[in-house]
This record gives sequence, C-alpha cells and structure tokens, in this order.
Amino acid sequence: MSVLKTFNKLPELNTANIMLVGSDVSDLEKLSRSIMDENHSFNVNVRLAQSLPLPVENEDSRPRIDLLVFMVNLRSSYSLSLAESSLKFIDPHYFLGKVYFLATGARSSHLSSDLLPSLRKLSASSHSPVLFADLESDSDRLSVARRFLTLLRIAAGLVPGASALFLNTLLKGAPASANEDPPN
Amino acid sequence: MEDSVITFLEKTLQRIPSSSLKSILNEWGFLSAQQLQDLHFQQSKHILHNKVLAFCEENGMRIRHVIQLDMIYNCEYPNKRNWSVYQFSGQQDDALVLNVTEFSQKFKVNLKDLLRHVSIGMKQFEDDAVWIRVAWGDNFTKPNQFKPTYVVYQLQTPYVFISNLNVKHRPLLSQALVIATKHDEIKEIQLRGRCLKSLKDLVLRRYKQSFQTYQPKPLQERHCPERDQGIVHEHAKRLADLKEVATQTFGDGPLPKLETAVFKLETKFKDPENRILTNRPEPFRCAVKFSSPSFLESLKSLVTLGVASTPVSPLLSSIPQKARNHFVISERGPGVPSTPAP
Repeated sequence: MSVLKTFNKLPELNTANIMLVGSDVSDLEKLSRSIMDENHSFNVNVRLAQSLPLPVENEDSRPRIDLLVFMVNLRSSYSLSLAESSLKFIDPHYFLGKVYFLATGARSSHLSSDLLPSLRKLSASSHSPVLFADLESDSDRLSVARRFLTLLRIAAGLVPGASALFLNTLLKGAPASANEDPPN
Repeated sequence: MEDSVITFLEKTLQRIPSSSLKSILNEWGFLSAQQLQDLHFQQSKHILHNKVLAFCEENGMRIRHVIQLDMIYNCEYPNKRNWSVYQFSGQQDDALVLNVTEFSQKFKVNLKDLLRHVSIGMKQFEDDAVWIRVAWGDNFTKPNQFKPTYVVYQLQTPYVFISNLNVKHRPLLSQALVIATKHDEIKEIQLRGRCLKSLKDLVLRRYKQSFQTYQPKPLQERHCPERDQGIVHEHAKRLADLKEVATQTFGDGPLPKLETAVFKLETKFKDPENRILTNRPEPFRCAVKFSSPSFLESLKSLVTLGVASTPVSPLLSSIPQKARNHFVISERGPGVPSTPAP
C-alpha cells in the first residue's frame, strides 16, 4: 500500500501542489477549476482522488504534495467514513499543518445531527482545522479557492518566514481539546 | 354566463403559465383577432385573466369551448399528470383497419349508453394519437369538469395511456374502449410515470440501447483549456472503468424518464442472526421504492461516480427492456419476478 509521504520528493521551482480527496467527483472538479482560475503568481497543480491509498502506478509522476484537503459532505456519512479511512495512509508529518478538512453542505436543512460532531472530533484528534464552504455559486467557490491558495503558498514554503506548522498553531480553528464542546 | 362555466374557465386559465398563454389562446381560436390584440401580455396575470373573461362573456362562451381550452392545455403539458399504461388483448379480425371517426363514434355512443351524464372531448394528432377527455357525472348530477380523465389511445398499437381514472369509473371506461376498438379485453400493465413521451417510447420499444462498438480516442489533448492541464485525477483509470460499466449496463443514449420503481418483496426473511423473524412460514412483506425526477439517469450517474457497487443488479438494469416499473418478487427466485396480479 502506498502511503503518501511528505519529504521523499524534491520540490519544484515556484510550484505548489494541492491534493483534494473526496467522494463526490463533481465537487472536486468544481473546486479545482476555481483554484486554477484564480490568479496566482506561482504554478499550481491539483491532484484529485476519491480515497487513499492512491494507485501505485502514479507514484512516479506524482509530485510532492504540499497541502491535503479532505472534502466531507455533511449530508452523506459515506464521505466522512471515506475521509476517516483515508487518514491512515498519510505520513504523520502531514498532520503538522498540511491537512485540512473542508465541510460542504452545512446550509442544508436535511443535516443528520451526528455528522458535524464526528467531523469535529476527527479534526481534533488529527489537529487539522475544519473549513466550511458551499460550492454552489461562483462567488462561494472563489472565496474558498482564495483561502486555499493562501494556505497553499505557505504550506509550499513560498512565503519566507512562515510555515504550515506555524500557521496551524496560530489558527484558532484547530481545536485545542476535544473535551470542550460548545453548549448547544 | 353560468357561474360554473366562469369558475371552470378561471381555474383553467390559472394553470396555464404566462409564457405560453399567448400561443395557447391563439390555438384556441375563440377570441377574435381584435380581442387578442387588445390583450397586452406583459401585464399581470390577474388583469389578463379578467380581460379574457370579459372577452369570453362578450363572445358568448359555452362549456364546450372551455373544454377545448382545457384539452389544448393538457396536450401541451402532458407531463404534469400521472399516466398509467393499459394494453388491449384479443384482437378481433377487423381491429387493424380502424377508422378514427368510427372509433370515436362507437366510443361516445357506448359510454353514453352506460352513463347518462358524461362529457366527452376528442382530438386527434399527427402522430396517430387520439386524446379523449371524459368528465364523469352519474345518473343524476352533471359531469364534474374539474376532475376529468384523460385517455391517449395510440392508433395501430394495442396501448392506451390513462390518467386520473377513478376506480368506480374504470369498468365503464374499459368496456367502452374495448367495444370501440374491437378487442376482447383490456389490462393494466405495471408501468406508470409522468413523462408521456418516455412511456410511449418504452412501450413501443422505440428505446434502443445503443452500444458503441468502436470508441474513438478522444482528441482532447489538443483542445484542453489551459487551466485543466494542471488538474490530474489520481484514479483516472478507475473512473474510466466505471464509466465503461455504466455505458455497458445502460447504453449510451438518453434514458427514458421514469419517476419511480417499486419492488414488492414476498419472500421469506433470511438472516441467520435474527432468530425471531427467520423461519417463519409466511413471507415477509416489504416494498422497496426508488424515486427521483429521472430514476434511470440517476442510477447511471451513481454507477459512474462509484457510489453504487457494480455489477448492477439485473432487476434494475433490465427495466428499460421489460418496460415495467412495478415488480413483485416472490419465493421462486430473486431474479424472477412473478406475473403481477391486475
């Protein structure tokens, strides 16, 4: 089984690579197109996957992945279980600020009540922040793409003085302890 | 003008969407050209309807005119109704050479014999379909125009599509149809849906699953927009495989539009861990219902996205060929649906 490793490949000049993992292919494609459409001063490559582990055939052509985003649809427990099982196939170094969860569909009225707490527990245990977004309209996608591009720049080391781990400790979104649940 | 006629006209007008109001009124032909010109179709619906009502009063409208308008609206928008499919069997000798006027006359005479107060409207279309509208009353009351039954008889085929038929009136309508078309009996087949065109295609086997034997290699590499070149699918092979399975199961072209598929199970409960329900002599009755705006298309995309596991059960993939969407599965075997009771 191929585990996604952090530092076993050389970085490319002025390039950053982001990998989106999620069960819904159309959502992945929408977000990746918005990311590519956005103006960026560095090269961006987007890799899309439905789950980890990744097929071994792509091992050689795959560049070093700087940022991993797990897309979880709050309307489907299948996507959450897929994300959970994929976490096992990542090198532990990724959890120092290079893994993010993106929760979509939070505005839906048919939310099943236990997916969001499970997602929060998962993000607490892996020390990775959860971002919320909806990929329906163009402006929504644009704002999410911009956020990820900023995070990607830092994670790829293109901003002098800042690193992904540094950012992770600064973000309040990374929950300090899973025991403090806000009173509902 | 009577109150009932006015209410009927109002209700019919309200159902017509504003975009097609002009064309439908033109087709109706009851309002004169001058009156049609007077109507400004940009005004609000309420004002327009009041004007139309006033014009109709001027022209001396009767109930049969409103019936015509109702029929035109329904022929234009058949997909707002739920249609069931019926099949004739036992053709008599001269059933093939059926004259439309003969059919309509026989039908009207028969139905009026059975029930005194019925109101019947008929219309023929170029594609060999005869639309019949029946409003039912009984021996003492006038026909209720607000809940009519629509019948679409496809000439030269043994199929009829019926919408909104009450159980009470079913034997009457069946008898009239059977006598008028010179068959022996009529039976309902287990196919129901909203899209009339899809039902027709399914039943007449016009839907052919097209399988491309030669898949031309896509020339996408040259025309790919610049932004897509940075996007790489890790599981591209798996996605391509899934797409192939989906096209193999469902074919390439557009699928007929069915809204539901219902499977009624009458099999014994089989679960070794549950000892209360297993090993009971009587079958465990349960019904599985799939519903979606276009159920077959959504099934195909479930397979393409990898959410549904392949291979797809033949119960689902054979629906277009069998032209049915209500099945009863009994103990003889899970893949063999028994003949349904009418």
